[in-house]
Amino acid sequence: MQPETAIRVERISKTYGDFRAVNDLSFEVYRGEIFAMLGPNGSGKTTTMRMILDILKPDTGRIEVLGGILTDATKDKIGYLPEERGLYRNVRVLEMMEYLGTLKGLSSNEAHKRSLALLEQLDLADHAKKKVSELSKGMQQKIQFAVTVLHDPELIIIDEPFSGLDPVNTLALKDLVMAFRAKGGTVVMSTHQMWQVEEMADRLLMIHKGEQQLYGPVEDIRKRYALHAIVVEGQGDWAALPGVERIETVENGRKGTLLYLESQTTTDDILAAIATTRNMSIERFELAVPSLNDIFIRVVEEHGQ
Amino acid sequence: MKQHLLQVFLYELRRNLRRKGFLFTTFGIPLLAYVLFFGYQIITNLSSQDKPAADPAQEILGSDQFRTLQKAGYVDLSGLFPRPDEQLGQILTAYSDETAAAAMNTGEIDVYYVISADYLETGDVTLVMPRFSLGQTTDAPIRRLVLNYLAREVDQDLFNRLLNPANIQEINLQRDSTGETASNFDTDFVVVYVFALALMLSVFITNGYLMQTIIEEKETRLIEILISGMRPTQLLAGKIVALGLLGLLQIVVWVAALLLLANIATGNAIPVLASIANISLPLDKVLILLLYFIFGYLFFAGAYGMVSAISTSMQEGPQFAVIFTLPAVIPLYFLAIFIESPDAALPTILSLFPVMSPLAMVMRISITTVPIAQILLSLVLLIALDVLMIWMAGRLFRVNTLLAGQTPKLKDIPRLLRG
Repeated sequence: MQPETAIRVERISKTYGDFRAVNDLSFEVYRGEIFAMLGPNGSGKTTTMRMILDILKPDTGRIEVLGGILTDATKDKIGYLPEERGLYRNVRVLEMMEYLGTLKGLSSNEAHKRSLALLEQLDLADHAKKKVSELSKGMQQKIQFAVTVLHDPELIIIDEPFSGLDPVNTLALKDLVMAFRAKGGTVVMSTHQMWQVEEMADRLLMIHKGEQQLYGPVEDIRKRYALHAIVVEGQGDWAALPGVERIETVENGRKGTLLYLESQTTTDDILAAIATTRNMSIERFELAVPSLNDIFIRVVEEHGQ
Repeated sequence: MKQHLLQVFLYELRRNLRRKGFLFTTFGIPLLAYVLFFGYQIITNLSSQDKPAADPAQEILGSDQFRTLQKAGYVDLSGLFPRPDEQLGQILTAYSDETAAAAMNTGEIDVYYVISADYLETGDVTLVMPRFSLGQTTDAPIRRLVLNYLAREVDQDLFNRLLNPANIQEINLQRDSTGETASNFDTDFVVVYVFALALMLSVFITNGYLMQTIIEEKETRLIEILISGMRPTQLLAGKIVALGLLGLLQIVVWVAALLLLANIATGNAIPVLASIANISLPLDKVLILLLYFIFGYLFFAGAYGMVSAISTSMQEGPQFAVIFTLPAVIPLYFLAIFIESPDAALPTILSLFPVMSPLAMVMRISITTVPIAQILLSLVLLIALDVLMIWMAGRLFRVNTLLAGQTPKLKDIPRLLRG
């Protein structure tokens, strides 16, 4: 069954003076998924997000959000957490949340109740009457996310949500995002932290110089970039196996040996060879799928910095 | 859409109403004036209770010095005041026509007075001073001399009346007549001049807050969240209306406090305040003041809106704002001309020129009867400039400028205005 579309972007372009920030970009985001936007700095991610939010107008192309062209009513169904996010520093937490909530269509009463409930949920209820400047950075980040989801949006767009966070707060924010998705919300996020994408995202879009480079389910992309190789751990002379072209020791992450196979050799052939060879034992055997980080670097290098 | 404007308006109203700076300038300053006034009263009363009732003639003649002069001289051509007594002689010395100037040159005296030969008939006295100083233009030495010589022996009641010859109640025909009347520097001027200053002060304060809130939102990048849900111009409009209302509130509080204080001070030791109490500001002047406040405020709202849109920090904003605030207070530099000849070319031009007219026209109106055509022309020009400034602020107050991390160069401004 075709998933329902939350965002449809069709051939959008955006130019600043002589600089083309986004060039003929098209993609879709499905309802209920976590959609990651990747790309080096200045690749056009933030510009694309701003165009989705109608903060910027595309020069050409068309964008539909939550079933149509963005209207004031639809905007109230979206939560936005920009990269360089901030809060009023000398305003009390509760008061500021209520104001931003009313700007998203909540009544004052409703904004008050929801703010209190969210602060309670985030263990920040004791800080409701404090000024933002009195809170730690981690607390402020939680408040910022709380503001993003205060009006119970259907879609949140979060730009680099984990930048500048320590591991504890990163985990806390990640849990909040996952909880939002678990309730049926749609998430569009941009990040440089590839492992977060691997762990959280269902699909991704990679942009470079304003153009689409990779687009699709995360696992499909990783497999697409898989090497004709396997990673093994165990005992034996791996280089002597028939069909193995060369071997390499895996240095990063979990240790192992990378076996590059000859073009006509399959993984089944190698598995059979190991099973029939004496003095060989195997503890791990898997396809050599590159990390998103490797893919990211490879794509950027292929297309030039 | 209107909902957002209302929400911004209500929030800015609440937030700025609780601002310590706003509370202090609006309520704290009048309160301080009250404290000083009543403190002065209490101290005066206490010290007068300690002393036996003094002879007012001796009080005047016996003080050590004049208020603004250390020592004065006089040349008596009338022959009425040959030499002051020993006590007055310590601060006032008689000279011949030839020696007075030399005494002033050597610093023996600060100034000297030449009392004309027909002084009794004309009251003509010439004041000679080394350089012009407003503080030294006083007739206190002559008054003392007159009291010392001519009134020393008179009856106590008569002496008191000589000291305080009239309790004047004003009837100002200029208010009630549409015909030409001579221009007068009366107490109205003090009141309206104070109002004009209060108006400008309030405009600067509230627009300063406008700039501060916008730049804060830019600095913290909260602006991006705000304009993701509304148009930037809605945000600007909500703030302008809220802070304009606060400015009006501030003026109402100041004026009310001043009039109340003046009423309390009626018949009191502070004659300026006492005279203010006798004045009822005519409705047409109040209306004109109000119009100049509103349109003056809108001009600066546009100007400060533009400055906020292009400034990236709280340090930068006020520096740009000086471009607009400095010309606005130029009429104050020509105060003397306004008082002497309010209908002369310079005051007239300044009161028509939009940036300066809120202050200049209010000053002129307080002194003279300004032709209605001039007031209308001045208002039309001011409104036209308001429209231009607000339009330009709206053009600059857009996403590209607001989200830019750096201040645009001067040459980029026309391009940004064109969009």
